[in-house]
Amino acid sequence: MLQLADVHTYYGNIRALRGVSLAVERGEIVTLIGANGAGKTTTLKTILGTVRPRRGTITFDGRRVDTLGTDRIVRLGIAQSPEGRRIFPRMSVLENLELGAFARPDRDGIAADLERVFTLFPRLRERIAQKGGTLSGGEQQMLAIGRALMARPALLLLDEPSMGLSPILVETIFRIVQDINRQGTTILLVEQNARMALRVAHRGYVIQTGRIVLHDAAAELLRSDLVRKTYLGEK
Amino acid sequence: MSPTARRAIGRTALVAGLLLYPFLDRALGLQTVHAVSDGMIYVLLALGLNIVVGYAGLLDLGYAAFFAIGAYAMGLLNSPVLGSPLYGHPWSFWLCIWLAAAMSALLGLVIGAPTLRVRGDYLAIITLGFGEIIPVAIRNLGDVTIEIGGWRPIERLNLTGGENGVNPVGRPYLPGVPFETDPVPWYFLILVIGAASLWAMSRLHDSRLGRAWMAIREDETAADCTGVNPVSTKLLAFALGASFSGFAGSIYAAKLQAITPGAFEFQVSIMLLCMVVLGGAGSLGGVVLGAMLITVFDRVVLSQTTFFVRSIGRTLGVPALASLDLTLWRWFFFGLGLVLVMLLRPQGLAGRRTSPIAPDDADELPAIEPSPPPRVESIPGWLREQIAPAPAGREAAILQVQGLTKRFGGVVALHEVDLVVPRGGIIGLIGPNGAGKTTFFNVVTGLVRPDSGRLTFDGASLVGLRPNAIVARGIARTFQSIRLFPHMTVLENVLVGEHCRLAATVAGAVLRPPSVRAEERRARERARALLAFVGLAGKADDLARNLPYGDQRRLEIARALATEPRLLLLDEPTAGMNPRETETLTNLIGLLRRELALSVLLIEHDMEVVMGISDRITVLDYGTRIAEGTPAEIQRHPRVIEAYLGTGYEQDSAARAAPR
Repeated sequence: MLQLADVHTYYGNIRALRGVSLAVERGEIVTLIGANGAGKTTTLKTILGTVRPRRGTITFDGRRVDTLGTDRIVRLGIAQSPEGRRIFPRMSVLENLELGAFARPDRDGIAADLERVFTLFPRLRERIAQKGGTLSGGEQQMLAIGRALMARPALLLLDEPSMGLSPILVETIFRIVQDINRQGTTILLVEQNARMALRVAHRGYVIQTGRIVLHDAAAELLRSDLVRKTYLGEK
Repeated sequence: MSPTARRAIGRTALVAGLLLYPFLDRALGLQTVHAVSDGMIYVLLALGLNIVVGYAGLLDLGYAAFFAIGAYAMGLLNSPVLGSPLYGHPWSFWLCIWLAAAMSALLGLVIGAPTLRVRGDYLAIITLGFGEIIPVAIRNLGDVTIEIGGWRPIERLNLTGGENGVNPVGRPYLPGVPFETDPVPWYFLILVIGAASLWAMSRLHDSRLGRAWMAIREDETAADCTGVNPVSTKLLAFALGASFSGFAGSIYAAKLQAITPGAFEFQVSIMLLCMVVLGGAGSLGGVVLGAMLITVFDRVVLSQTTFFVRSIGRTLGVPALASLDLTLWRWFFFGLGLVLVMLLRPQGLAGRRTSPIAPDDADELPAIEPSPPPRVESIPGWLREQIAPAPAGREAAILQVQGLTKRFGGVVALHEVDLVVPRGGIIGLIGPNGAGKTTFFNVVTGLVRPDSGRLTFDGASLVGLRPNAIVARGIARTFQSIRLFPHMTVLENVLVGEHCRLAATVAGAVLRPPSVRAEERRARERARALLAFVGLAGKADDLARNLPYGDQRRLEIARALATEPRLLLLDEPTAGMNPRETETLTNLIGLLRRELALSVLLIEHDMEVVMGISDRITVLDYGTRIAEGTPAEIQRHPRVIEAYLGTGYEQDSAARAAPR
């Protein structure tokens, strides 16, 4: 469904991605794990077209997307829940969510999805009229994920969805990730919490300094020495 | 040739060029000194505006008003029209120029005081209004009569010369220097004042005050919470910026020998703003370049080109060209130039680069090496001395919170919360998202005023204090969503942290007496030691925004430590870190407590961290304290498990404990 082939991305003269190749098949949860600065977020940005690769190709549903603008890519069915909670701070929770469905024509579907988001995150229903900027950090995180879901994307890019959430919510979030996936959304998950990510994912890629160094079934990665030592904090 | 030698040669050439220019001009018969001197007055104005817009980041759309005040101060004090007793004295110009600067600065304060509490766009609108008011007031104060009942204390007083302006204005007097007939002395007078201003500004920029301005520009709230008083810092920027326009205005008035209200209209403010933006806001060389480019283009290039085009038009017999007046198109060219600069080089012609600069020899990302574990030996010695352990006999609690309540509209964010941080203790604050933890931090640090409750630090109440005053008392914090000063270097970020422990004043920053030099040197040594301690030694000169995430977190802690706190509030310090980084940071916090007896209040969702490091834990839910106790007690607490921990936590810790 999504294919990155030998993608190189630069910031100025600095090579952030040095030939990333990865594939996400329809219906999968694929996770990309790695240290801070390894290129996880850059990979997502490159897929979404907010930075352009200097070399390599990205195809989505058999169509090249690395030359398209971000708005076109989103319309093709890719949505991202951004790192750093980029919500619209002066708009209400409801308006934020509705904006997520901006590119969708189906009113009934939107209403149903709004209901789905509120069921997933009851806290957002409690705060429905509050301005996004007045929510607590964790609530903004929920709103960002909810907004991405409202686009009903075929492929959802999740950038650190568990960051800043309480333990019980972290569990909930990963359960929700699985629920969303079962309802038909393909997911590419970037996570610092490698343990949880590998538990819910089907397959995983490990990225180090801009290169994929390992990829395998998630269960195998959980057993790999490199992953256990570097990303799971085991001795 | 080494870059320093090249720079020295460049400087010498520039100075020689500036000194020789008027004589060269005379020899070639160009007659441009007049126009260039006028242009240099605008350079001086643009430099003053740069303090406000470039350094402090306050958009001022009415800066010409201060220019007007300076010019009219000179005009009124040094003109026979309005009957000034100073007129005709040889020293009056040299006195008035200072009076004019002082008056502009004073007005900067008066106007700044109420307006600086508003931010961003609103401030710009207010300055816009102010810029409109001043010329109108000047026009209408040419004939003032005040009548109270039948008594007229002031009758038909000509305060400003009205629409006609002030004419003549007294010229400067120096024995043997022909200010009356020759533009060259003016050129040198303005050159000297301009050079002195540049020198003063560059010294201000590299001082505690310059750093405070930039911090305010970058993030006012973070600056406030790092010990920078935003109100006084912004007022200082306004007053100093205005004082430079006072100099420029008074020279302008004396040079032209006449002033009219029309010279201080809105367009002048905009043109000055264009100069700053074109050259690069915040960069002195850039502003000089931008101002020079615009004025030379305006005064020399446009008129000369018009002359040239007309002569061509006449020779070719094209009437449209022969009667063309390019000077009418000046705003078209300014606008076009500005658009091009914004498209091609948005930081201005000479603005500071903000994207990472690749090392010369490599185009590769530096390998991410795990940060070194914090060591006891690397704790900066000065920090040990400054954060001295409490003298015996003081009460055991450093922070005491009782019955703290805060409502936002109908939402009760905090309800009757009690919390005690003992001296040298680490207290965890946990709870579901939206429970009020960050609000609690905001109340303690003075960002939010509590509705009721007691808040005492070291025996004294904190209620009603501004954030920077609370930092000065000894409480520092970090933010959940990192709030560094992104376009300042790593070292500068830490230096801002030291701001409230440094003493240099404006005079000290400019003149740099030995005490200020020593203070600045010590501050830099301290900052470098702190950076080494948190593992950022090699990155002192990187821009903060270019640091990887984990480094940014550690820089924020270094900046907080630079304020010499006795209580440190950490808001999710390990969020977004991998297990290794988390472990390093946890060790660092433990080390600070053990070695420096630093007290810590910690919001954290990583249970391994909180449970491992906290002495006691307070749990909030919906703004209410639902539990308080040791980590072991909290882990078993049914309400905490239900609202916060969930059941997965136990499985998780079991999984980690069990060897595979």
